[in-house]
Amino acid sequence: METMLSVENLGKSFKDKQVLSNISFDVRRGEIMAILGPNGAGKSTTIRNIMGIMYPDEGAIRFREMNGKEIPRHKIGYLPEERGLYKNVSVMDILLYLAELKDYPLDKAKQRALAYLKKFDLEGKDKVSMEELSKGMGQKVQFIASVIHEPELLILDEPFSGLDPVSQELFKEEIRQLAEDGTAILLSSHQMNLVEEMADRLFMIHQGQKVIYGTMDDVKTQYANFKCTIRGKNDLRVLEDIPQVERVEQNEEKFVLYLSKDVHPNEWLKVIPEQVNIQELTLDRITLHEIFIDIATNKNLLQKEGEVHA
Amino acid sequence: MRNTKKVAKWEIKRNMKNKTYLIGLFLTPVLMVGFYALFSWIGGGDETETEQVDVFINDQLEIFPAIEETVEQSGFDWNLEETDLAEADMEGALEDNEDTAYLFIDERALEDGVVPVYTSEDIDQFFTNQVQLLETPIQTMQMAQLGLSEEELAFIFRGVSFEETSSAAIGGNGGDSGTAESGLFTGESAERAIPGIFAAFIYLSIVFTGMAIFQSASLEKKDKIAEIILSSVTPGELMQGKVIGYFVLGLIQTVISVAIILPILIWQVDFPFMDYALVPELALLLLISVLGYLLFAAVFVGVGATMTDVTTAGNFQGMVMMLPFLPFIFIGPVFSDPNGLMAQIGTYIPFTSPGVLIMRLSLLDEWPWVEIIIALAILIVSVWLFMKLAGKIFKVGILLYGKNATPGEIWKWIRA
Repeated sequence: METMLSVENLGKSFKDKQVLSNISFDVRRGEIMAILGPNGAGKSTTIRNIMGIMYPDEGAIRFREMNGKEIPRHKIGYLPEERGLYKNVSVMDILLYLAELKDYPLDKAKQRALAYLKKFDLEGKDKVSMEELSKGMGQKVQFIASVIHEPELLILDEPFSGLDPVSQELFKEEIRQLAEDGTAILLSSHQMNLVEEMADRLFMIHQGQKVIYGTMDDVKTQYANFKCTIRGKNDLRVLEDIPQVERVEQNEEKFVLYLSKDVHPNEWLKVIPEQVNIQELTLDRITLHEIFIDIATNKNLLQKEGEVHA
Repeated sequence: MRNTKKVAKWEIKRNMKNKTYLIGLFLTPVLMVGFYALFSWIGGGDETETEQVDVFINDQLEIFPAIEETVEQSGFDWNLEETDLAEADMEGALEDNEDTAYLFIDERALEDGVVPVYTSEDIDQFFTNQVQLLETPIQTMQMAQLGLSEEELAFIFRGVSFEETSSAAIGGNGGDSGTAESGLFTGESAERAIPGIFAAFIYLSIVFTGMAIFQSASLEKKDKIAEIILSSVTPGELMQGKVIGYFVLGLIQTVISVAIILPILIWQVDFPFMDYALVPELALLLLISVLGYLLFAAVFVGVGATMTDVTTAGNFQGMVMMLPFLPFIFIGPVFSDPNGLMAQIGTYIPFTSPGVLIMRLSLLDEWPWVEIIIALAILIVSVWLFMKLAGKIFKVGILLYGKNATPGEIWKWIRA
């Protein structure tokens, strides 16, 4: 797959604080690449550096179509995290203006705008003033604005924030479709379930540094170990002594046992000692969501693995 | 540059589709005409308008033709007629009349120098002064009675005139201050004043329209569209687009104002404005206006980008907004002495320079070219400098959501 954008050793500081260091990844044609991380991890800063809204202190950002130093703005669609549109203008006016700024032919832009409005259930709203639209409708128009010029690279910063489930599905479907049609998509989010469903590859960032980078399948097999949740009156030490248990988390009578990577579930279940009181037991894999929360709360669940694969 | 044009076009279009702007566009000149009408209505009575006075003269000395001639020359709005009513009949004759006067010119005028004048209760306020003019023909007759020759009479009536020469005139500096002030609308000085007034009008129009840049600069921030726009254009292009867009909007305002006001002015005041306005001097005045606009536009767009919203403007931002009004404090000093110290100081301060220069050049017959060139140089450098500073502030400010920048922060951005 053709690499549309590559970020190499990106570093950025605000005053004395290092907000990004050594960030490297690339985005390829036809794939959905996700940047994940808790609030303040540096997702938006990374994206702003890519878009040339900020300038990196270190590292390089390369676009496939880059001639010289110029960012190929006309080939990129961008939906920023802090987003809105001019309020006292009509939907069509603003869409055509943004298309014009991208040097996209206006008659084509108009057709696409009408088609998208129809698709997003906004048919007949093209002459309505932006301020009369609901927040959800506004977000749909913003999304249309970012794709109206058929970008080759689409950068979406938290595209799902503030959307109802129906609109979320709509966006997900559209983003998938765009990727299938060959658009390279870079999307940032903290909604792990959505990312898990959509992304081909992911880059997890925390405190400005890489935590995980790889394809979704690799990440799952590498990081998503088994965990066993037991409810019942138990002694923490007994549980900790069970083989292949790396760590135990206790919440009153609920214990979560994190198992090592090479555990075989059937065999492991057999080694649970007799004296363990089991009211309920579940055995499943750690989800991306949990990995994410662990990282965000600095619990070092992944530290071992992280170091190994860093 | 192409992006700048697109942004400018958008700003124009956005405003032209905005009802508030459109109402303002037409309301401004209509208000101006309204105020003009109001003032001329209120001030109508005590200005130059005089009412016709019927003047009846009981002439015992056969002086009527001489008086008729004097009145005709003076251009008074008098309706002269001879009468043979006696002084005793005055009460009845004047009772029901307005603007009527009876003069009794008889032996008393020659012997005692007294002419009884009976006027109606209601009479033009200038009449008392005007009637003094009749002194001359009566005096002539008095002199003739004394037996003086024509030459002697001519000599006496030549009187004594005081020729005034100011020190400025001796120094060869022209000394035009007196004449300029006395005759804004007479002869040659009108040639200066009209283009000046025209330029001042255009200048104020575009600068005041340009004040909307203040709001426009923070609009992207307010509507959170800054990053979307900046993904297509650079901050510099966006800023220049706004400056140019509002310049064109100012011109549109000017054109519409002129289209509404000028016909009314020409109809009301019988004066060939256009012949005087469209002279080569106007070009320089317009250049000064454009530079003035660019200077204020730079300041507005820079400072505007430091706030989230005009309604949250702090003291600092509010003060900046008052800058275009600064030349108004120079109106008094400049009009009383267009070459004075205050006028010169005002010429060299970039923010007052355009306003003061337009005022001075309208008043002066001979333009102080050295001062004009220095002032233009200062203006051009200031425009360049402020545009650069505004660019730096704009670049950072436009992405600063949710808070107003303090002067300290702005200073940091400038140094960055």
